[in-house]
Amino acid sequence: MVEQLHIGLMPVVDSAIDKLAARLGANWANLRAARKMAFEKRRAIQTDLSEFNSADSSIIVYGSLGRDEFTPGSDLDWTLLVDGIADPSHLDVALAIKARLEELGHKPPGREGVFGSLAFSHELIHQIGGQDDTNANTTRRILLLLESAAIGRADAHKRALSSVLHRYLKEDRGLWHGSGKFKVPRFLLNDIARYWRTMAVDFASKQRARGNEGFAMRNLKLRMSRKLIFISGLLACFSCHLDLSDAEKGQIYPAEAVQPLVVHLQRHLELTPLEALAAALLGFEQLDASSAKLFRAYDAFVGILADESLLSDGKTRRKHLEDLAIDDLGKDTVFANAREISHEFRDAVHEIFLKSSTELSQLTIEYGVF
Amino acid sequence: MRLIGFSTGAVAYSDFRRALEVLSNEPVNCVELSALRLHEVEPLLSTVKSLDLRRYEYVSFHAPSKFPVEEERSLVERLSCLPPEWPIILHPDVIGDYALWRSLGPRLSIENMDRRKPVGRTVEELKPVFDKLPKATMCFDIGHARQCDKSMTEAYKLLKTFQSRLKQIHISEVNTASQHDPISYAAKLAFQEVASLISPDIPVIIESRVVPSEIRQEIHRAIEALPGLDPILASCKDLRGRNSAVLMH
Repeated sequence: MVEQLHIGLMPVVDSAIDKLAARLGANWANLRAARKMAFEKRRAIQTDLSEFNSADSSIIVYGSLGRDEFTPGSDLDWTLLVDGIADPSHLDVALAIKARLEELGHKPPGREGVFGSLAFSHELIHQIGGQDDTNANTTRRILLLLESAAIGRADAHKRALSSVLHRYLKEDRGLWHGSGKFKVPRFLLNDIARYWRTMAVDFASKQRARGNEGFAMRNLKLRMSRKLIFISGLLACFSCHLDLSDAEKGQIYPAEAVQPLVVHLQRHLELTPLEALAAALLGFEQLDASSAKLFRAYDAFVGILADESLLSDGKTRRKHLEDLAIDDLGKDTVFANAREISHEFRDAVHEIFLKSSTELSQLTIEYGVF
Repeated sequence: MRLIGFSTGAVAYSDFRRALEVLSNEPVNCVELSALRLHEVEPLLSTVKSLDLRRYEYVSFHAPSKFPVEEERSLVERLSCLPPEWPIILHPDVIGDYALWRSLGPRLSIENMDRRKPVGRTVEELKPVFDKLPKATMCFDIGHARQCDKSMTEAYKLLKTFQSRLKQIHISEVNTASQHDPISYAAKLAFQEVASLISPDIPVIIESRVVPSEIRQEIHRAIEALPGLDPILASCKDLRGRNSAVLMH
């Protein structure tokens, strides 16, 4: 099984990214810097928000702060996740957290209203699929699994996470009774795949709703960090087959033992998406060239977001891309450079997950497409 | 035959004599003498030798869940006078001086805690406790474990990690106020998910607060929650009704 490596406020130890970098002779300085900044930021926020600690609710951060990819211009996506007795004052707490973060100068979450307020474990657990599983609920649930970290007390976070996983696994009849040679939780995988497509569709929706405002940055994020989230979700599902020994599988699947698989996935999901990806790629030395390409591209992407030097228009690269008009995309060198990086990332992803003669590729085609 | 019985505190609050009297007519073969409050210890200890507990194949003693630190040494000394075959159930959060409790060896049975407590709820929190009490056994409170994690993942981890220490089970529904209620349908389903990890020879003590008329129904719920019980008990459908004849003794 995957060893515990990253959670909340603990510094990353025994990093798979560092191991992969060492094996490849690479130096992904931007990833290291972003990881360090994320750790320090979470620690600072914990101190600032310590009075809001509770066993019945957890302050959860998502996005670059949850993924250890925090850069100076990153916003702060958070929710107050409630997993306890209904209490009218929960909203007061959420509003106080919002005010405190604003006072401290943190960049607020996006304008969709998915983050920056209350979320409830009951909705995350019970409303998977169906009409009541709103876009916001799906987003909160999948990101809870793939890129969340608790600030302060993690009791509610852990409980919600294990209960959501329990639902996906226990109700996945094919996982326990299927005759296929791979053991991959399809219910979970389908929800993750659905979310990836939802992000892609929402990209088009926002493009329309905002009159193309912010297109360039959203486009890059979709090609890079959003795609990375999807990859890490696939890897989590594949890990139920790839990372378990035959003996472990023999104990878990015939006995329909849900809890050990929940434990396995909990450990896997404690890894950031990049750590999970690096941990997987460490097992495929034959893919080293593609791994180097993938991480080099991602490091360069994070480098663009982190670069605080000013361009001739007086803006950072991030700000330049955020403000770039859609009609100027074709002639903008900053965007062209970023787009090239996203193509390198895409090509490496294809080499690893679609074109290699590995189980990663087999599983992606078997489960990630049809 | 599976050992199943009640905590005296669940049957009659703070009145072990009344509880034993009530239980004398019930199909139980084990009992936990509860002295959760410090003032309950002395009356119980002074009566122990005169109690007729011959019908019970297993007896345990629940130590107080709260006491002044200056009472700790004398409490351990008094508890050490209990019959040596009786496990002494203890909440880990009350331990001040581990050396005192270590003297009880495997008789000391540490219980996993509910959500209110700052220690002893999870594997991570219990490991340091057992590190300091290497010979201690464990009383696994399945209701506490479910209250901490409804998916029963923590329960699974506790059972797997401390399986060799497992001495006794506590079973009940533990509500949001951390009180022990009768086993609900949802709790039963959850308990069944980890029941296979509990050896049939481990005694089960019901902690659900029930009135005498509910005792047999609660035994039935416990049996359903932990399948694999003694066939005589398990096949006895009449356990559902208070007035039915239950043949166990």
